[in-house]
Amino acid sequence: MSPLHPVCRVIEPDLLSVAAGEAGSTATARVQAHVADCGPCREELAQYRALEGMMQTLRRAPRGDDDATLARAQLASRLADLRSRMVSFGIFPSPLGRILIGRSEQGVALVQYLPASGGLPDHVRRLLGEDAVEDRAATEALQAELTEYLEGRRARLDWPLDLRRMRSGFQRRVLEATAALPYGAVTSYAGIAARIGSPAAVRPVAQALRWNPLPIVIPCHRVIGSSGALTGYAGRHVDLKQRLLAVEGVRAVPARDDFRIDRTAMYTMMTGDQEYCVPTCGSLPSQPLSKLTLFGTRERAEAAGFAPCTVCRPDLHPLPA
Amino acid sequence: MQPGEGFTLAGSRGLMGRAMAEDAFEAVVAAHHAEIRRYLLRVTARASDADDLSQETFLRAFRAYRGLAPDANVRAWLFAIATNVGRNHFRAKGRRRRAYEAAALEMAADAPDRADGRLLAGETWDRMERVIGALPTKQRLAFIMRKMHELDYTEIGASLACSEESARAHVFQALRKVRRGLDGHLPVETESRS
Repeated sequence: MSPLHPVCRVIEPDLLSVAAGEAGSTATARVQAHVADCGPCREELAQYRALEGMMQTLRRAPRGDDDATLARAQLASRLADLRSRMVSFGIFPSPLGRILIGRSEQGVALVQYLPASGGLPDHVRRLLGEDAVEDRAATEALQAELTEYLEGRRARLDWPLDLRRMRSGFQRRVLEATAALPYGAVTSYAGIAARIGSPAAVRPVAQALRWNPLPIVIPCHRVIGSSGALTGYAGRHVDLKQRLLAVEGVRAVPARDDFRIDRTAMYTMMTGDQEYCVPTCGSLPSQPLSKLTLFGTRERAEAAGFAPCTVCRPDLHPLPA
Repeated sequence: MQPGEGFTLAGSRGLMGRAMAEDAFEAVVAAHHAEIRRYLLRVTARASDADDLSQETFLRAFRAYRGLAPDANVRAWLFAIATNVGRNHFRAKGRRRRAYEAAALEMAADAPDRADGRLLAGETWDRMERVIGALPTKQRLAFIMRKMHELDYTEIGASLACSEESARAHVFQALRKVRRGLDGHLPVETESRS
């Protein structure tokens, strides 16, 4: 049992230190002087030294289950997975307001409009995931290109994309079809539904675009309502859609709470054709927007690789500017 | 672009740039994983728990690694994370009791190996492990960090979010309890060496 004498009690912590080999010379001398005269503490010290000896044995002894190989291999694969998912993001001012750009090891994972002030909205936090880290430097080059794009000085964002934030295979198909829309072109939600072979899925297409994790980069602003109304963008920011389209040469005029594109003022082609026309060419005026791709300018149609129609000759009879 | 071709286009200009930090973390894993797992094995007494918790420790460490000061003591930092992971583990209801029971069984089975020529009765090792396993969590963690992994009291204090003095007090409390629990079983030499 522990020594009970008050002197023994006071010296006991030093005694533990001496047994553990942690004591300084003063404490060691004090303990040595004490145990020379105190039998119970001498015994106590011997006991603690024996205990330290056992622990030293335990420290060195191998254990049967001390094999980290499996855990190490599993860790390596989980780390690789975590690394590839981890998003670095930066928040930047842009001509369209505050924008967040996030990228993973695989590519650009996220572009999100942010409110003018305050923290990150919940849906943005969810998209970022818990492992996201703010790292402006990692996204600065992207931001510079995005700004050039928004100012009309760049028509392509050739970024590798990380599409693992897609909600479904359907959304992925919708966004792939949308990404294939050339710069300066528009079509309708029904047009995208038709392109992915699900012509009836107009509302699901609109939903899939509503949750586009990469607006601007995947140009959902080029997809409009069948009536020509811009219809919706980034929550209630259809004005941003109008401005993005204006940069690309697509004019939309205010119409009630929305903006509207005038089909009769757009170069027009049947989706899948290789030639663009004036909107009055052949049967085009009677075609639903879902079958058409519209361009605001000839330059955009030709930059996308299309030739002027040899019948209506939009190159010789351009639309009024 | 054709569907199925994916979106990844040519020219990934400067998008990848973290390779160096990642190599550094690989080195951290290589240097410390085995010891951290051994620590968690001693803490939980279950190989499967030690596997899981050591993985969790290093995943957390990876997330925090870029914020770590260049001159930080990485080993002590990892022990602190592992200690937190271990404490969270024990907070889960019921686990602790099961861990003790498992500890007693596994330690008993291992005892002859670990006697390491000192010819101690397996019963003594068994008893020692049970006494350590029955310590309050903080004391047990402090004790294992100090006696099995030789961390200093400052490092133990940092792991347990307490002062160096408290860390020492935890270890000493543990020592007293282990010593009392082994009363009459310790291989005491007949003559005191001091």
